[in-house]
Amino acid sequence: MQAIIPDYRRDLEIRRYPPYVYVLVPLVALVLQAWLPRLLGRYAYMDLPVLVTVYFALNRRSPIHGSVLGALLGMAQDGLTHGAIGIHGIANTICGFLAASVGIRIVVENNIIRMLLNFVFSLTAGAIVLFVTRILLGLHMQVDWLDEVLHAVGNAGIGLILFPILDLTQSRD
Amino acid sequence: MESFLSRYRNLIVLLVLLLLQVIGLAVQVRKPVVVAGGTPSPGRDKEDGKGVRLIRLWAADLVTPFERAVHGSSQGVSGFWGNYLDLRHTKEENKNLQQTIDRLRLEQASLLEDARQGHRLQEMLKFQQNYIYKTAAAQVIGTSGSSQSHVLYLDKGAEDGLERDMAVITGDGIVGKVRAVFPHAAQVLMINDQTSGAGVVLETTRTRGILRGDEAGRPQVINILADQRIQQGEHVLTAGGDQVFPRGLPVGVVESVVRDPERSGFIDIRVKPAADLQRLDEVLVILSMQPHLSSQQQADLATSEEVMGAEAAADAERKKAAAEMEERLPGLKDPNAPDAPKKPAPGAVNADGTPVVVPTPKPLPAKHLDRFSPGVRSEDLPQPSDGGGTNAPAKPDAPKTPKPKPQNPGTGAQ
Repeated sequence: MQAIIPDYRRDLEIRRYPPYVYVLVPLVALVLQAWLPRLLGRYAYMDLPVLVTVYFALNRRSPIHGSVLGALLGMAQDGLTHGAIGIHGIANTICGFLAASVGIRIVVENNIIRMLLNFVFSLTAGAIVLFVTRILLGLHMQVDWLDEVLHAVGNAGIGLILFPILDLTQSRD
Repeated sequence: MESFLSRYRNLIVLLVLLLLQVIGLAVQVRKPVVVAGGTPSPGRDKEDGKGVRLIRLWAADLVTPFERAVHGSSQGVSGFWGNYLDLRHTKEENKNLQQTIDRLRLEQASLLEDARQGHRLQEMLKFQQNYIYKTAAAQVIGTSGSSQSHVLYLDKGAEDGLERDMAVITGDGIVGKVRAVFPHAAQVLMINDQTSGAGVVLETTRTRGILRGDEAGRPQVINILADQRIQQGEHVLTAGGDQVFPRGLPVGVVESVVRDPERSGFIDIRVKPAADLQRLDEVLVILSMQPHLSSQQQADLATSEEVMGAEAAADAERKKAAAEMEERLPGLKDPNAPDAPKKPAPGAVNADGTPVVVPTPKPLPAKHLDRFSPGVRSEDLPQPSDGGGTNAPAKPDAPKTPKPKPQNPGTGAQ
C-alpha cells in the first residue's frame, strides 16, 4: 500500500517530454500497429495507440492532455480502418482521461502497477469499442473476448518493456 | 462562472471531445441516400462522405510513407542478404516463374469453370473466352492495425489506375476488393472481414451464398439452407453476381459446416481461404474484366487453337475411316426387316395444323392381377377362401386349366 499511495512531492511531479517525442512516439506507434500484423499475422496481440495514450496520460497526470492525445490517436487509428471515424477515438479519449485521473492518485512507477493498469485500460478500450459499435451505431459486430483478453495481456507485456524506454526520453529539469 | 469552468475544466473537455466524436459518428452512420437505378449487391457498400474521406486520406498519408519505407527497407535487407547468399539470377528467375504460374493458374481456373458450364449448357450457350483480365501487381505495405477491421494497404493508388470496388486476388484465390483509393495507396477490404460480402458458389452442389468473415476473421458462407450434400473439402468459387469478382475464381475449400445459431434450418459454411490471407506480399488488382490478351497470351492462345485444330482434324479422320469401315463390313441388321416407326419430333404438327399425337405404349398385362392393376374391378377379383390359404387372386382372364388333383386326398381341405 505504501508503494501505491504517493507520499512525496517527487511521486506526483508532472513529467515533461521534448515536443518531438509527442509527435514521434504516437506516429511510430501507429506505423508499427499497422505494419506488425503483416509479420505476426493473427498473433499481433497489441494495441500500441492505447498503450502510448495510457503512458503519456499516466506520466503527464493531465486529464485534458490524456483526453486530447487519446482522441487524436484514436481517430488516426480509425482513419486506417474501414469503420466509422470516432469508434477508437471515443475509446482512447476515455482511456486517456481515466489513466490521467488514476495517475494523479497513485504512484505509477511500479512495474506491476503499470502492467495491471495497461491490462485494465486495454480491456476497457475493447469494451468501449464494442459499446460504441453495438449500442451507439447499432451495428452487428461479434467480438471474441478471448482475443480481447490476449490483446490486454500483450499490451501489459509490451508496456513492461516500452515504458522504461519511454521514461528515458523525458526532459530533465 | 469562471470558477465553475476552472473547477470542472477536465470534465468539460472530456465531454466536449466525446460529444464531437458522437456527432461525427451520427453523421457518418445516417441512412444512405438511395441512388436512382442503383442496384444493391452483396459486394458493394456505401462510399465515405467528404469529411471522413479527408480523415482517412490524412491517416493514410501519415502512415503509408513510413510503412512503405519500413516495408522497402525490410525487403531490401532481406533481399540483399538472400541475394548475397543465394544466386541473384535464380531468385529473379524464380520470381518470373512464380508470376507465370500465377497467371496460368488464373487462366486455368477461369477455363475450368467455363468448361464446366459449357458441359451443362452446351446447347444453349456459346462458349466465350472472356476471363483473361487486365491486372496490376501491387505490394501489401500495411494493415489497419485493428483486429476488428481486416483491411490491407497497397502501394498502388489512383495514379496507377486503381479504382474503388476492383477485385484483389492472388494466384491462389481471391483476397478482397478495393474500398478506398488514395493517390499513392489503396485500402483493400479483405474477404474475412465481418462487413465484406462476396457472391460465391459451391463447385459441386452449385449452392450459392454470400461470403463474409466472422468475429475471429474466418471467412464463412452464411444463410445457407441445410443441405446434406455439402461436404468438407468441396471447392468454393466466386459466383460472379456481385459486380466485383469475376466468375469462377477460387475462394477456398469447405472446412466445416455448422448450424446457424440464430436461424434453425440454416447452416454456415466455414471456408478455408485459398489465398493465405495472413501472409500476403504481392497481390493482383483486376483493372478490367474485358478481354485483354498480352502478346504472350495471344501466342499461348494461338498454340492452343492449333493443337485443338489438329485434334479436331484427327478426330474427323478417325470418324471418316470408321464410316468407311462400317460400309465395307457385313452389317448385323436384317436388311429385310421392316423399318422401325419414326418418332415424331416434339412440337410437330399434322398437315391440318393439329399436333401430332404420339401413341402411348400400353403396359404389358400383369401376371398376377390384384386390386391395384389397371382396369380391374374389385368384384372381378376372387374372394379369399374361408379356410385361410393363400390370398393371391385368381387370374380372371387367364385360360382355365384343370387343377391337378392332390396326391393325398386325405390331407386336402375339409
